[in-house]
Amino acid sequence: MNKNPLIPKPHKIIGINRETDLESTFRIEMDTAPVMGQFYMVSIPRIGEMPISISGIGQGWIDMTIRNVGKVSQAVHFLDMESTLFLRGPYGNGFCLEEFKGQHLVIAAGGSGIAPVRPIVEYYYNNQHEIDKLDLLFGFKTPDAIMFGKDIKRWKERFKTILTVDDACGIWDGECVGLITGYVKDIKLSEYDRMDVIIIGPPVMIKFTAAEFIKRGVSEERIIVSMERRMSCGLGKCGHCKIGEHYICLDGPVFRYNDAFKMID
Amino acid sequence: MGWKFTNTAFNDLFAGLTEDYIILAPKRFVNRGRFSDTDLIRYDEVKKSDDIIWKEKSTFSPKEAVFPVTQTLFYFTEEAFREPQPEEKQYLVFLRPCDINGIRRPDTINLKNGPEPDSYYANLRKRVRFVMIECTESFDNCFCVSMKSNITSDYDMAVRLTDDKVLLEIKNDDFLRYIRSDIPKIEFRPEFVLENKIKVNVPEVDEMPAGVYEHEMWNEYKSRCIACGRCNTTCVTCTCHTTNDIFYDDNSLAGERRRTWASCHVDGFTDMAGGISFRKDNGSRMRFKVLHKIYDYRKRFGEHMCVGCGRCDDNCPEYISYSGCINTLNKVIRETVS
Amino acid sequence: MTLDVNTKAVVKNAYRITKHRGKTALRIRIPGGYLKAKHFDLLKEIAEVYGDGIVHLTTRQGFEISGIDYSSIPKVNSLINPLLQDLEIDIGVIIKDTSNGYPSAGTRNIAACIGNRVCPFANYNTTALAQRIEKEIYPNDYHVKVALTGCPNDCIKSRMNDFGIVGMVEPQYDYQRCIGCEACVKNCKSNVTGALSLHKGKVKRDARRCIGCGECILKCPTAAWTRNPVKFYDILIMGRTGKKNPRIAEEFIQWADEDVVIKVIKNTYRFIDEHIDKTLPKEHIGYIVDRTGYQVFRDKALEDIKLNPEARIAKNIQWGGFRYSSDVFMSDKLQ
Repeated sequence: MNKNPLIPKPHKIIGINRETDLESTFRIEMDTAPVMGQFYMVSIPRIGEMPISISGIGQGWIDMTIRNVGKVSQAVHFLDMESTLFLRGPYGNGFCLEEFKGQHLVIAAGGSGIAPVRPIVEYYYNNQHEIDKLDLLFGFKTPDAIMFGKDIKRWKERFKTILTVDDACGIWDGECVGLITGYVKDIKLSEYDRMDVIIIGPPVMIKFTAAEFIKRGVSEERIIVSMERRMSCGLGKCGHCKIGEHYICLDGPVFRYNDAFKMID
Repeated sequence: MGWKFTNTAFNDLFAGLTEDYIILAPKRFVNRGRFSDTDLIRYDEVKKSDDIIWKEKSTFSPKEAVFPVTQTLFYFTEEAFREPQPEEKQYLVFLRPCDINGIRRPDTINLKNGPEPDSYYANLRKRVRFVMIECTESFDNCFCVSMKSNITSDYDMAVRLTDDKVLLEIKNDDFLRYIRSDIPKIEFRPEFVLENKIKVNVPEVDEMPAGVYEHEMWNEYKSRCIACGRCNTTCVTCTCHTTNDIFYDDNSLAGERRRTWASCHVDGFTDMAGGISFRKDNGSRMRFKVLHKIYDYRKRFGEHMCVGCGRCDDNCPEYISYSGCINTLNKVIRETVS
Repeated sequence: MTLDVNTKAVVKNAYRITKHRGKTALRIRIPGGYLKAKHFDLLKEIAEVYGDGIVHLTTRQGFEISGIDYSSIPKVNSLINPLLQDLEIDIGVIIKDTSNGYPSAGTRNIAACIGNRVCPFANYNTTALAQRIEKEIYPNDYHVKVALTGCPNDCIKSRMNDFGIVGMVEPQYDYQRCIGCEACVKNCKSNVTGALSLHKGKVKRDARRCIGCGECILKCPTAAWTRNPVKFYDILIMGRTGKKNPRIAEEFIQWADEDVVIKVIKNTYRFIDEHIDKTLPKEHIGYIVDRTGYQVFRDKALEDIKLNPEARIAKNIQWGGFRYSSDVFMSDKLQ
């Protein structure tokens, strides 16, 4: 009976951290370590199931940052410490950190796209020697929408970090305002095969940010994106996440952009 | 090896088979068709040969036999889960060669795609046997020959029906025991349809030219297609589904997780929480489906998904011809390439 | 020679007293509006040889051939014999002498939309039922108008008739086959009465709001909704045009089966027999019901009928309709 991969397992919530009005990070007990960039199918029986990427990995736990925008995510936001979440996974292809060894890595994340890259930044924060250089470019809609503010402040100590908001709303005291695409030019590029660029965010943000990097001479093979789609199974069966011959749940969510840009919805 | 039955003797054979098998075949539901005073023909349990509709195409495909429209994955009470009781019944499905080839696609998706097979599908599928209905003359809208799905050897028995007799080939020896000793043996091998009225030129390109995705040929479907999803629900190869949780009206702590068929043409198929969705217009849904059936799937699995049963064209209320669309696409590709 | 015409007899014979002295017009009955094209030759011949060459299409789906001399009536009556044979006798109507034209004209031609022979929305064969009713009620002198329509779209405008028979279908739901696509729910909400709603991924039907139009069956992509093969009818009564209180018909019996339809109409003729004001040259059924009240009509209409269990009868009917009031609307001057 336990061989059925669709049956989720109970996991305890051991930490809840409110990031914004909409987003909270849930720390969940987990005895096996997933790969960064992978996702779990998270559910509350009676309400439903949803795919959520991992926003942090530690000893005996994982973090998941969940945006309160749907039926299930709303229900999750009602949960307290010590409550149970039901998970199955991890699923999908994550980031291959091996490939970034000694490289100049640029991470550009828009909005909640910062969640899946957080473990990567965190990893290099603690293992800076594994990488030549790490540049961070984060964009949020408004100052209120900024997630992981404390983390970003900490990361800033070790990495070049650009933090921008689309709309300052009169309360933003940061240096940068405007779309993330406008700040791509501020990243100093390295030679072709010495650098990799990770771009994660809403589909439009990915498209235009990638275009900026490509315009500046970064080749598509050096760009890595993570794609979000509706999913019902996470196992290549339900068909919701299919684009072209690819199933995002199986072949992704992390793709090289030379594959991803050919995938037309 | 073959046997020759009178119609009566063939009905008698069913009496034996129904002791061990639930027989599923195209069946007529009188006056239950979409329109008043029309019949519905779809797969359902039959008890005798006379209940089978041999000479008309069923509106819905036999995929229902292996892939129920609604399937309970598990029940939950508070935090305990229980899978439905495992079913033991054996099924015998009467179907044509295109549909036998067609069911290989749900097999591929459910048993081979992804890290592990779908246990619900696998559990049902292994209890299903096929009786091939010989099909030597195609129906309207059939283009199995173009899709190379007109021939198969993947069946346990095959049957030919003539006015006064029934010929049966048995390939799976398990079924020999149902044949009465007085039934005369004959040589019988089923034949296959070798030509359809409708011919489709399936583009055989390794890489779809980028211009095809943006091509104006899809625009007409923006307004013509009404996103009803009949092409998907009648298709033998469509397997998309959506998972839903429900709780019981009388007790919200108990409920079930289940899945139901989904359609890539119907609104909401790509909706994500937060309001993002893809392929909003029906033209791009048509493009998505068509390319999936005759290009994407082959790239991944090595054969085309579509088997040319023509049910999508039989049932489209807007008279959109999917086969016609493939022919147009083929032309567009040739123009784009040259 | 001076004309000596018995106008009562002429009118009963389906001829009209026209404004042109000496000229009459014949109304051809076409039950259910169902006419084989071959009959056009005959209509043309009568119109061109005995009439003024014109054939008028009547609102009740008949033909009116005008400009006929009164003296031609016997000849025309003998010519229309094939029409009587094909359109009346052959569907079971009893006409004792077919050489003298139509035996009566009070009960009007039964009009029908094209029905399920052609229309995808229609829930029954309106032609067949029109012919069956014709057989039951014609010939008859009582002034009764019956119209049949395949679905609640009511294209024949049956609500303007004494009897409007609207096709209903009971949609039957297969829970397992439903994929929750909401095609039926959305359509019912926007085009019908909103009798359907999505409930936990499946569809719920509010039987009290359902008018049996069958659109959910038409929209369903999985045949989760199918037709109950038993056909049902909504019997609308006492709609009318006319100078005195025109109004649309109201529902008398919902979900009646075909036998109930037939029997109610036949009982109505018995009701007329009992209650018609014989001092008047004629009295329309609607005005008789106005005099007796709905309850009296209802009791007679349902007499000796075994209703099918699905049938639902109106407790009360309040017809509205229009009442001319010159004082209010027709003042000489705008104040």
